[in-house]
Amino acid sequence: MDIGALLIQAASLMLTGMIGVFVFLSILILAVTNLSKLAKPDTGAPTVPTTRRQPSGGVPNAHIAAISAAITQYRTKQ
Amino acid sequence: MDGLLNLWQATGIANFTLPALIMMAVGCGLLYLAIAKGFEPLLLVPIGFGAILTNIPVAGLADPGGLLYYVYYIGIDSGVFPLLIFMGVGAMTDFSALIANPRMLFLGAAAQFGIFATLFGAIALNYVPGFEFTLKDASAIAIIGGADGPTAIFLASKLAPELLGAIAVAAYSYMALVPIIQPPIMRLLTTPEERSIAMPQLRVVSKKEKILFPLMVLSLTILFLPSATPLVGMFCLGNLMRECGVVDRLSNTAQNELINITTIFLGLAVGSKLAAEHFLTVETLGILLLGALAFSIGTASGVYMAKLMNRLSSNPINPLVGAAGVSAVPMAARVVNKVGLESNPHNFLLMHAMGPNVAGVLGSAVAAGILLALVG
Repeated sequence: MDIGALLIQAASLMLTGMIGVFVFLSILILAVTNLSKLAKPDTGAPTVPTTRRQPSGGVPNAHIAAISAAITQYRTKQ
Repeated sequence: MDGLLNLWQATGIANFTLPALIMMAVGCGLLYLAIAKGFEPLLLVPIGFGAILTNIPVAGLADPGGLLYYVYYIGIDSGVFPLLIFMGVGAMTDFSALIANPRMLFLGAAAQFGIFATLFGAIALNYVPGFEFTLKDASAIAIIGGADGPTAIFLASKLAPELLGAIAVAAYSYMALVPIIQPPIMRLLTTPEERSIAMPQLRVVSKKEKILFPLMVLSLTILFLPSATPLVGMFCLGNLMRECGVVDRLSNTAQNELINITTIFLGLAVGSKLAAEHFLTVETLGILLLGALAFSIGTASGVYMAKLMNRLSSNPINPLVGAAGVSAVPMAARVVNKVGLESNPHNFLLMHAMGPNVAGVLGSAVAAGILLALVG
């Protein structure tokens, strides 16, 4: 087979290959985005009881307020 | 007297040929790079030593009946070793950064342009007298641009076994040279302002997502690209063992003992392909040249894609992270972090670069699957 015909084949392979990779990974992006929505309830659930339990744990509300204020101050500084 | 002559005929000195001596020197060169310079030592030590063993006259270690011949036949000709390594790599890979920011998969896809552009380049090289690459040869050479050793060996063993030695050596050498090849290209294509862009912190990824991710990748591969399932399937198995949390023993074995044992034999088997008659050809020079081209184009296309995404997206994306799309985990991500720190000493890009980095592994496996489906 002459080189010209091989080059045309290689060019079409380049095009189909890149389209193939992009299409496949785009589908994967859609799937991963939906995956995070699907798995979200699992992450949100355990944080609810812990935040509710904190005030009844014997720590005064004023202390909690002071600590969280300090944390926000530290984060905004960063 | 006859006995003495026969004994002389059985010595190495009487049987050395110049090409075999040159290949033993190449083997010593690889050992030097591995031991003194620290270039991919885990692979280059067994490959370099394998090259020396293969070229020993009389012993015939790589001829039918010799140890290296069987190691190659059992491990690489069958495609088993690269796939076992891929399972170990899957067990070592943390996909959190990619799951948190799935758009990074675009960067892993863009960097694969290095592979397909090099395929074209390899065929174009046929215009130079002395080169006669077929489409299969060109595909096997181009996969060096995927910057993924096991993928390159797997594809080369299927498409162009006679070029495997040169392809594997080029792939691992360039992976070791990532810190030298990539930074100049990254600096050339970006402005200092772009390099100092800070990216928002990634969200926390739940265990459920991490468990479902490999299963989902496998399902999509089964549906759309079954030819990539040997690579992707083993990778996902390793990753699932890591993330599910109930088979820690298996996961530890896959990422330690098993991958180490396989690496020794994979290296020796690759070394067995460094026989003088196969390696000392003008084609090897072409392969080394095309490999460097593939890496450079992959890096550049990743950076350009990241620049484009930065323009279009509401969240800022540092164009440097695009360079990590060429896989070469985790070296490419470390290089991105280093170049980023030069422009902004407070900007740590490592976690952001891990996303495109592991996306690059998937991208090169998908590209290998496409090449196998279309050319194999």
